[in-house]
Amino acid sequence: MTVPHPAPPQPRPRNGANRTSLLIVAALSAASGIACWIVKGEAGMVQALAIAWDLFVTIIPVLGAALLLAGFVQAGIAKETIGRWLGAESGMRGLVVATIAGAATPGGPMAAFPLVLALSAGGADRGAMIAYVTAWSLNGFQRILVWEIPILGPEFAALRFLASLPLPILAGLMARRLPGWGR
Amino acid sequence: MMLTGIAIWLITIAAALVLWRRDRPALAKGGRFAVGTLKNVLPIMLLALPMAGFLTVLVPDRFAAILFGAETGLRGHLLATVVGALIPGGPFVSFPIVLALWNSGAGAAQMVTLISAWSVLAVNRVIVWEAPLMGWRFVLLRLVTGFWLPLASGLLAEAMLALLPPGSIGR
Repeated sequence: MTVPHPAPPQPRPRNGANRTSLLIVAALSAASGIACWIVKGEAGMVQALAIAWDLFVTIIPVLGAALLLAGFVQAGIAKETIGRWLGAESGMRGLVVATIAGAATPGGPMAAFPLVLALSAGGADRGAMIAYVTAWSLNGFQRILVWEIPILGPEFAALRFLASLPLPILAGLMARRLPGWGR
Repeated sequence: MMLTGIAIWLITIAAALVLWRRDRPALAKGGRFAVGTLKNVLPIMLLALPMAGFLTVLVPDRFAAILFGAETGLRGHLLATVVGALIPGGPFVSFPIVLALWNSGAGAAQMVTLISAWSVLAVNRVIVWEAPLMGWRFVLLRLVTGFWLPLASGLLAEAMLALLPPGSIGR
């Protein structure tokens, strides 16, 4: 995986991706609302909106802090720092660093994958790259803070986080030992 | 949830103090990032929350208990792996779905498997983002090393739940 790549593609502007997300969720919300109205009638609609309101009231006080904390993590650990850590470490330490860096990388696939391409061009080994991507997808701090804790609760989020914690390292070890993969 | 709110605010204030002492520009940058994210996330969340309500009302009582209940064991985990892999979209789609399933009797460990499968396998993300950007060779390496992770996280969660007093995580 040390084959030099062409320059990594620039991440697309966030706005386009965000508008797509908004359209998707608007369509799904409207469809489920119509289905709810047809199947459960007016009483079902009232019940559903009451559930939504309860969620909203629970989420709002947490959300402000969660967003700020996600912002501080993001600003405190710059992208260049993540790249430097990953390039400098190898062995078991490399996998641990890749796991932490992956979890600290905010944003969706349009942010994470170009960074992996840059890492690969910079000579990170395939075990570290797999650990990084796996940690980003399983345990991204930003997603846990902004979505999981507010919607599913901190107990569930903690259970899932701890149960997933060792897995990126194991996946990275496996990627390094895979026979017949060449470089 | 009251306690969580306080705990998260305390951690946030601690992080702000650390940045204040070490790297003041980062403090402002983090604040701007938070405001920017809020502008993006709030409209999505205002649409996702009613969806969570509609889905919770729509999914019949005990429906998820039969498919993903705590007693379904390995079968429930395997089904959760397949369903999770197929859920498209971001966290604003998957977490409301998980909430609705959980309210209708799914087991916590099975929901851990489902979220892990949605995170790691993500058929939709592989086709739209990963394969075009990273190439199929990387996708294959990632899936070969990752296909077993959702099940592993679910079974680990089950082992952890067995150590906790019953009912400490549930609906």
